[in-house]
Amino acid sequence: MSEQDHGAHRGVPAELERALAAEVSLRSRMRYVAVGLAGGCAAVLVAVLWATEPRPLPPRTQAVFAGLIAVGLAWAAFAGWVLSRRRPLYARDQVLGARLALAASTVTGTVGTALAAARGTVTATLTAALVGTVLVATAGLLLARAQSRRRELLRLRDVLQRNVS
Amino acid sequence: MNEDDRSGLLVVRCRLGERAAFGELARLWHDALWRYVRGMVGSPYVADDLAQDVWVAVVRGLPRLREPDRFAPWLFTIARRTVADHLREAYKAPQTSVEETDVAADDSLSGLLTTMEIEAGLGELPPLEREVMILFHLQDLPLTACAEVLGVPPGTVKSRLHRARRTLREILTERGYGT
Repeated sequence: MSEQDHGAHRGVPAELERALAAEVSLRSRMRYVAVGLAGGCAAVLVAVLWATEPRPLPPRTQAVFAGLIAVGLAWAAFAGWVLSRRRPLYARDQVLGARLALAASTVTGTVGTALAAARGTVTATLTAALVGTVLVATAGLLLARAQSRRRELLRLRDVLQRNVS
Repeated sequence: MNEDDRSGLLVVRCRLGERAAFGELARLWHDALWRYVRGMVGSPYVADDLAQDVWVAVVRGLPRLREPDRFAPWLFTIARRTVADHLREAYKAPQTSVEETDVAADDSLSGLLTTMEIEAGLGELPPLEREVMILFHLQDLPLTACAEVLGVPPGTVKSRLHRARRTLREILTERGYGT
């Protein structure tokens, strides 16, 4: 306590304002959502390509496919970790993220099924369609849950606003 | 407007993702937080850094704060953890092990300590007593909220307050503040 106080009542320092603005940035969050979705969707599409190859692939090509899938999944896992620990999604961000996920899973499901239909057997096509449906349904559920949470918070905000005014 | 209601509303707006609400919340609580941290670490420069760390932890943790009206104890719990981490790092030794006793507080010694008097003698109090004085007297947190922040029963808070007031009174008497 021997050091002299520099402004005991001085409000929020500009540096902190900047740090907070960066910390809550929506753009940064959506970037991680996009990275995660791109990684996951790319992994699914590479898996469809691999599964619908007409002839068994040479070991080196199989290793490349496996590597590509692993890289895609690693990006998805990394984005998931960042979004749960470092850049958590607020209610509005969750709705936006879930909409992106729904769009990405719809495109991935459609493209994956089309690829399987063009290159693979009926079983492969049905499997791809099933995986696509599961992805779309999961994204749809996430969107519904995010919208419900947001509505709940909006109601609470309105109640609190009435209390304080 | 009640400060708790205001904080609660700002917390809900933050959880919704209204970016402007984060700045408002920081403006509402930064001074109180900074005073607590500075009281605990002594240096205003270290307090600046630690307060920033606390705010980063707050914005990261806000989506998990289910009770918006519990913001103050939650904020000071994070601040306390941050300060403890800093002190642990700074001293590279286990924290002070002041023996706890759950005795009822004797308020006969509490008297009317002014904020200025408390701040004047704060630096010489042991960490546990300093912390409870800051939370209870300078931040005006109720006893139960102090207990929640410190992670101890309310009886322990009372006994620490009692010890802190007695020590502070001795310090102030030595300095000639009178009794």
